[in-house]
Amino acid sequence: MLEIRNLTKKFAGKDALKGISFEVERGEIHGLLGHNGAGKSTTLGIILSMVAAGSGEVLIDGVSVQKHPREALQKVGSIFEAPAFYDYMSGWENLKVLVGLSGRFDQAAAREVVERVGLTDRIKSKVGAYSHGMRQRLALAQALLPEPEILLLDEPTDGLDPEGIKWFRDFILGLREERGMTVLFNSHLLSEVEQMCDRVSIIRAGELVYEGAVHDLRDDRPGLILRAAPDEVLAEVVARFQGEVMPGGRRVFPEGTKVSEVVSQLVKSGAEVSEVTPVRRSLEDVYLEHSSATQS
Amino acid sequence: MTFVRQLLGELHKLFARKRTYIGYVVFLVFEALLLGLWVHVGQAQFEDLAKRNFVPVELLSSSLTATYWIMGFSMFLLGSIYFALVAGDIVAKETEDGNMRMVLARPVSRLRILVLKYLAVIIYTITFVIFVGVTGYSMALFAMGSEGGLFIWNPDMYILAIYPDRDEAFWRLFIGACFMGLSMCVVSSLGFFFSCLKIKPAAASVMALSVFFIDFVLQNIPFLANYKDVFITYRMANWVYVLQEQIPWDRIVESYAILGGLNVSLFILGWMVFQSRDFKT
Repeated sequence: MLEIRNLTKKFAGKDALKGISFEVERGEIHGLLGHNGAGKSTTLGIILSMVAAGSGEVLIDGVSVQKHPREALQKVGSIFEAPAFYDYMSGWENLKVLVGLSGRFDQAAAREVVERVGLTDRIKSKVGAYSHGMRQRLALAQALLPEPEILLLDEPTDGLDPEGIKWFRDFILGLREERGMTVLFNSHLLSEVEQMCDRVSIIRAGELVYEGAVHDLRDDRPGLILRAAPDEVLAEVVARFQGEVMPGGRRVFPEGTKVSEVVSQLVKSGAEVSEVTPVRRSLEDVYLEHSSATQS
Repeated sequence: MTFVRQLLGELHKLFARKRTYIGYVVFLVFEALLLGLWVHVGQAQFEDLAKRNFVPVELLSSSLTATYWIMGFSMFLLGSIYFALVAGDIVAKETEDGNMRMVLARPVSRLRILVLKYLAVIIYTITFVIFVGVTGYSMALFAMGSEGGLFIWNPDMYILAIYPDRDEAFWRLFIGACFMGLSMCVVSSLGFFFSCLKIKPAAASVMALSVFFIDFVLQNIPFLANYKDVFITYRMANWVYVLQEQIPWDRIVESYAILGGLNVSLFILGWMVFQSRDFKT
């Protein structure tokens, strides 16, 4: 549905993107992760034709955004962090003006979407009086009109309260369930990405450092917070079991390694074991590992 | 049909703002002030001048003559500032506020977005000038009655014209107001052009006004008198030739062709800059 091919971009002579490529399948929810300034927003900007790519191409359902932006964007709905509406106009007027740019404004369809996002009671009020959550619902309504096939979400849950985040997550998952909506989701909230996305791409300093399924990231290798003295003995035993030391002091062992054997060997080697805490490798760990790996 | 709907949407954005109407109110107050000055101060001085030149005084004391002075002064002094403010905002403000990203995310070309915005500004400019003409005339009618013709004395443009016939005077002034509207589109085009650049809305307005006033000052420097034709503000002032007894249509057509070409050039330059810009948070 969405193909990103070898995108590059420079700002003031500095590389912002260094040949990023990834794909989002139809009906997939794809997370785009990265530090501030990593190149996520630039990537979304290029997909939406707001930023000109240095080289490379974006294809939306086979149509090139660079060559036929109008045609390609017909299938896209988008939401930005802190969506900017015309505050002096009502929610309904905002929808009319924005959706009108895509062609005809279908009032019945708009009413249905407004009801679905739970804004019916306030849609005639001025947007200036909306809370952040209401703005985000209005942003969702405008993104869903008229009938997109892919949604691009740029930090959509930033600033929302936990209830708002849950509502938003359930809404997006519901859209995928009902319509098979494809979603590219750019967020700093790793837990959100973990709960919503099928696949993730991690960008660091303009480079794609990881692309794969979320469940592949959550490997089930035994992970331990292991504290023992002296350090040399601990390091030797961990090495004997082919363990790796990960950021944060977590130690990861190959599949099938028994924790009890590791601890037993430590004791036999004369180490004084003070802590053995099994830990699961979260998406955040993976994200940090990839970030620091590239950094080093 | 879609284009018309989109243009109506653009006009709606412009007219849904409260501050748009603040401008109308300010103009009404300014017109009333000018009318008061005309009735109590200016008229007496011009009547004296008229008597000395054997011009019938009743022509000067007419609502049409007062409307001519009100329109000329208010447009030059306040209109230029006001149109530069509105046009300077039209693109830059939306970019600054983040609305532009919401607009650009839609399947619509940047050229079309700019055409819609430019047309909205031009419609706004022309209708505003007509509004000033209509309200200025209404106030003058209220204050001075409907009697009298029209007396035009404009030494800068070498025009001295007398219209005792009220109907002819009215239509000449009306057509003059339409041409004045076209002239003011240049200020709006300047504001629009600067608004397309990567600058703050206020900076766009200031730049447009700077060009306008620098051009005006240069045009009035005595040793540049022979080069008046090259100045924008001189060409803009050519609307008054509609009020000359023998209308010099060739001169009017030439001036408005130049101003039209300037407007188109400013639009194209603005579009080229806007088209090459990256819009990012």
